[in-house]
Amino acid sequence: MTGETKNVILLNQVYTTYEGADLPVIQDVSLQIKPGEFVVIGGPNGAGKTTLLETIVGLLPVVNGSVQVCGHDVVRDGCAARKKIGYVIQNYDFHPFTPFTVEEIVLMGRYGKIGWLKRHSEYDLDKVTTAIDNLGLTLMRHNQIGKLSGGQQQKVLIAQNLAKEPEVLLLDEPFSNLDMITREEVSNLLCEIADAGIAVLIVSHAFDALPNRTIRVLVMQNGKIILNQQSDPSDVESLVRTASVAA
Amino acid sequence: MLEFLIPNNVLCHAVEAMLFASLGCALLSVLITQMNISSIGFTMSHAAFAGGAVGAFLGFAIIPSAIVISILTAFLMGPLSDRTRMHTDTTLGVLFGTMMAVAIFFIALMQGTGKGFEASSLLYGNVISLYREEIYALALITILIIVFLIAFYKEITAIVFHKRIAEITGIKVRPIYYGILFLISLMVAISIPIVGGLLLYIWLVTPAAIAYQFCNTIKRMFIMAPLIAIIISVTGAVCGIMYSLPVGPLTAVVFSAVFVGSVAISPKRKVVFHKH
Repeated sequence: MTGETKNVILLNQVYTTYEGADLPVIQDVSLQIKPGEFVVIGGPNGAGKTTLLETIVGLLPVVNGSVQVCGHDVVRDGCAARKKIGYVIQNYDFHPFTPFTVEEIVLMGRYGKIGWLKRHSEYDLDKVTTAIDNLGLTLMRHNQIGKLSGGQQQKVLIAQNLAKEPEVLLLDEPFSNLDMITREEVSNLLCEIADAGIAVLIVSHAFDALPNRTIRVLVMQNGKIILNQQSDPSDVESLVRTASVAA
Repeated sequence: MLEFLIPNNVLCHAVEAMLFASLGCALLSVLITQMNISSIGFTMSHAAFAGGAVGAFLGFAIIPSAIVISILTAFLMGPLSDRTRMHTDTTLGVLFGTMMAVAIFFIALMQGTGKGFEASSLLYGNVISLYREEIYALALITILIIVFLIAFYKEITAIVFHKRIAEITGIKVRPIYYGILFLISLMVAISIPIVGGLLLYIWLVTPAAIAYQFCNTIKRMFIMAPLIAIIISVTGAVCGIMYSLPVGPLTAVVFSAVFVGSVAISPKRKVVFHKH
């Protein structure tokens, strides 16, 4: 008999705030995510979607409640937790002459795991190559990131997080800079990642490229989760729209 | 250290001082320019300048006084920005103005108390009257910077690329960041007697700015910036002493001229036009 699968993300009555904010940006959020779940977070602008991701990563002060990722408390043991979390940020702006190549940036995804005072191994380079190939960046491996298009830069950051071998993968607007074909490629890749047992959480306003699998939909409004249910990919957009309007 | 190459003792000291100051400052200049913390470097160089001025006025050694004020400023900047809830540049602008005012105030007082020479050294540097211990200290700090860069190269490059992404990767950003600030404050304080508080900033920015015109990777910048800085600084020291010119200002002007030239011929500014 097998025991119940452990949650990889566990939020218990969490309140998160930014310094200087009048009210907590995230209010009374409780959430459990299991390995291999594919979660889509929707809701209007300013609902707290990105803040929720940053809370899970441990980048914001939690004023109440607890946040655990892969058994680590992100407030007390943030670095250990972040070694198991991949997080593709939304806003980045790389100067055309940023002096780093695609390969160097993807390798940076491994740095937390490699540890202090150690150099990367062949295993690390293998992971980098696999991630670069999976995202179709093989020919751009030695290009500077600033010379790539917005969509290609986004793929580099996704590759960086895949090279990290995370147990939880968070993506903020992963489809926003991608063309239709690349959206489908990335969506299929995310589906494979979830199928491999990694929890995938995406914040998105684009629901046309979701993978064909069961999806957990979270809708946020004013820092609270107002809807949390399983859905087919085709119903996600209407669920988000209905919940947002009703709220 | 280089007496076997340069028999003239004064010239030898000047070359040694310029060699180590330019090597250490150039390595830090790559971090300062690529992390966009120029205003931090600017404020810290003036903090060291103020520290040196206060120390000289009170009769203390310049370098320890500069080190103390510079390090205090480095560790004051972050919390001050948080507390005042203002953009870091605004806080640094206030700090920079304060430090400059303190430095000028004490230098003006020193002029009236017969310490005019010390005041002048603080402003423009003086490579001729350096003590051997000062050069050893400079060499030591430079070696410390090199060891720090080699030991934490991957963490440093990740922070240079994107501080937030580095943090997400699981790197402990804060100790490395404060380590960089600490080394800048040490280097700045110890270089003041050589190149002067007013000119030091040239050494902390220009080598990397020149290297940036020709390098596409950070690794190449870490090699090219010190090479450029050493060539210009040592040449400046030799020419300055041979022709009795002020070494610090002369070298600073050459740095600026090379920067202008590098921008003019930089391959980064070429426009490719294929007519097919």
